[in-house]
Amino acid sequence: MRRRPKTSSTLVTLAVSLLLAGVVSAGLGAVRVPIRSVIRALLDPAEAGDAGIILFTLRLPRVMAAGLVGAGLSATGVLFQGLFRNPLADPFVLGASGGAALGGAIAVFLVPTMSIAGISATALLAFAGSLLTMAVVWSLARAGGNFAVENMLLAGFAIGTMLNAASSALELGKEASNPGMRILTAWLHGEVGVPSWTQVSIVTVVELAALVLAIPLTRQLNTLALGEEYAEQLGVRVGQLRILVVVIGSVLTALAVSLGGLIGFVGLLVPHVLRIILGPDHFRLLPAAALSGAMFLIVADTIARTAFAPTEIPVGLLTAFIGGPAFLYLLNQKNKKKRSASL
Amino acid sequence: MPAAIEFRKVGFAHAERAIFDDLNFRIEEREMTALVGPNGVGKTTLLKIVAGLLRPTSGTVLLEGRALESWSRRELSCYAALIPQHLDVPFAFRVEEIVAQGRVPHLRRFSGPSERDLEVVEKAMQAVDILGLRERAYADLSGGERQRVKIAIGLAQQPKVMMLDEPTQHLDLGRQIELMELLRALRERGITIVAAMHDLALVRENFSSVILLTPEAASIAGPTADVLRPELLERAFLVDRSSLRRHVSAESLS
Repeated sequence: MRRRPKTSSTLVTLAVSLLLAGVVSAGLGAVRVPIRSVIRALLDPAEAGDAGIILFTLRLPRVMAAGLVGAGLSATGVLFQGLFRNPLADPFVLGASGGAALGGAIAVFLVPTMSIAGISATALLAFAGSLLTMAVVWSLARAGGNFAVENMLLAGFAIGTMLNAASSALELGKEASNPGMRILTAWLHGEVGVPSWTQVSIVTVVELAALVLAIPLTRQLNTLALGEEYAEQLGVRVGQLRILVVVIGSVLTALAVSLGGLIGFVGLLVPHVLRIILGPDHFRLLPAAALSGAMFLIVADTIARTAFAPTEIPVGLLTAFIGGPAFLYLLNQKNKKKRSASL
Repeated sequence: MPAAIEFRKVGFAHAERAIFDDLNFRIEEREMTALVGPNGVGKTTLLKIVAGLLRPTSGTVLLEGRALESWSRRELSCYAALIPQHLDVPFAFRVEEIVAQGRVPHLRRFSGPSERDLEVVEKAMQAVDILGLRERAYADLSGGERQRVKIAIGLAQQPKVMMLDEPTQHLDLGRQIELMELLRALRERGITIVAAMHDLALVRENFSSVILLTPEAASIAGPTADVLRPELLERAFLVDRSSLRRHVSAESLS
C-alpha cells in the first residue's frame, strides 16, 4: 500500500496553496490586477488606490465567500460521511442544502429585515431548515431499525427535490422587482455573490468555531467506522455524537447556503479525493477537507466568473457538471465492490 | 470466589416476545465456556447483555460479584470485550487503525492514543500474528484474517473476559483449528473465554464447560462432558436420537 503523507506537511502545503489561489483569483477579472499589486494592497490597504477599491469592495469579499462556502461544504461532507459511514453522504445529496435554502427563502420573503440577537432571521431559518431535513432523512434512512444506504439516498433525493420545488414555488406570483427574487434566484442556481464585509466576518467566525468544535468528534467518527453497536461497546456515546455532528453539519451547511446557495457535490468530491491521498482518518481529513474545499471553490468560482466574461455562470452549474459524473462513478464503484464481495 | 459472569433468573423480552426468562449459570474465571443452542435461542442476546448493549428485562447479572448496573460504560468496556460475528468497515481503514480502536475505552474522551497505547496495539497484533497485515485495508482481508483482526481489537481492550459470537463461522477447517489454538493460548494467559458455538466437535475438543440453551428457554450449564449428552442435545435441538447419532460423530457426544 502507498505511504501516506504526514499530516503537518499536508496541512501546510494546503494552506499555502489556498492563500496563493486566493491572491491569484483576486487579481483576475474584467480589470486585471497583477499578483504583486494584490499582495501590496493586502499588506497596506491605504496605499492601494483604484486597484484597492476593486479588490476590497468586489474581489476579496467574493473570494472569501467562495472559500468559506467550499470549506463549509467539504467539512460537512467529511462529518456526514463519517456519521452515515458512507462516502456518498453530502449536504447536497442528503437534502440539507435544500432545507437551508428553503428556510432562508421563507425568511427572505416573510421577514427580510428581522433579526434575533444580532443573527438574521434568514440565517436562523436556513439553519432550522437544514437541521430539520437531516433529522427527517436520518429517521427515514433508519426505518425498520437498520440503517440502509438505499433508504438514505432515496430519502435525501426525494426530500431535496421537494424542498427545491417548494423554494421555486415561492417565486410564483412575486413581482420581478421584489428584492427577495434576486436572492432566491441566485440561491437556486448556486451563485456566490459579493457579500458585505460584515457578513463575511460573521460567517468566518461562526464557521471557524463550528470547525474547531468538530475536531474532537473526528476521533469518535473513526471508532464509529466499526459500526454503531461496536462504537457503543467501546464507550462512544453514539446518540450524543449523532446529534453533535448533525447540528454542526447543519450550521456549516446553512452558512454555506447563505453565501452561495445550492452548490452541489463539493462535499462529495473533495473528501473522496483526499481519502485516496491521506487515508480515511477523520482527524486528518477534516482540516484538510476544509482547506482543499476552500481552494477548490475559489478556483471553480474564478472560472465561473471569468471563463465566459462578461457573462457569469453560476458556480453551482459548474460543480454540477463536474460533480454529477463523479457521483455516478462513485456509486458504480461501490456497487462493483458489493457485487464482487457477494461472489 | 465470585464468578467472572453470573446470571440469576435473567430474562429478556423483545417486542413482547420472551427470548428467555429464567437463565441461571456461572462462568468461572479462566474457563473456556461454549454457548451452545439452536438458532434464535438468544446466544447473541446473552453476549450483548454482558457487553452492556442490551438491558435484561428481569433478574440480575453479576460480574465479579458486582451487579452489572453498577459498572460504568468504561469499566465494562475494559472488563469484557465482545467480538461480533460480522464487522464491516467503510473506507480504506488500515488494520492497525482498526485495532487501535480497541484502546478507546482506556483513553480520555476526545484524546488520541499515547505511546503506551500504541505498544498495547502492537502486542495485540503480535499475539494474533497479523503484524504483516498492518498496512492492509481491512475491507480487502479474507474471512480468517478478519477474524484475527477482530480478536486483536478485543485484545487491545485488555479485557479479563473475551466473548466471541460464532467465531468459527465461514472459516475453513485449518483456520478453525488455528482459531481454537489461539483462544486456548489466550486462556493460558488468564483471559476468560466465552464463545457462541455451533460445531460440537470443536466444543468437545477445546472448551472446558458448556452452557446449553434450549428452546423452552432453559439453560443447562456444566463441564463439557456432562452437558453434551445425547438426551440433552435432543431436547435442545429438537431432533430424534437416531438422526443425532447419524450426523454427529460419536466422539462429540459423551
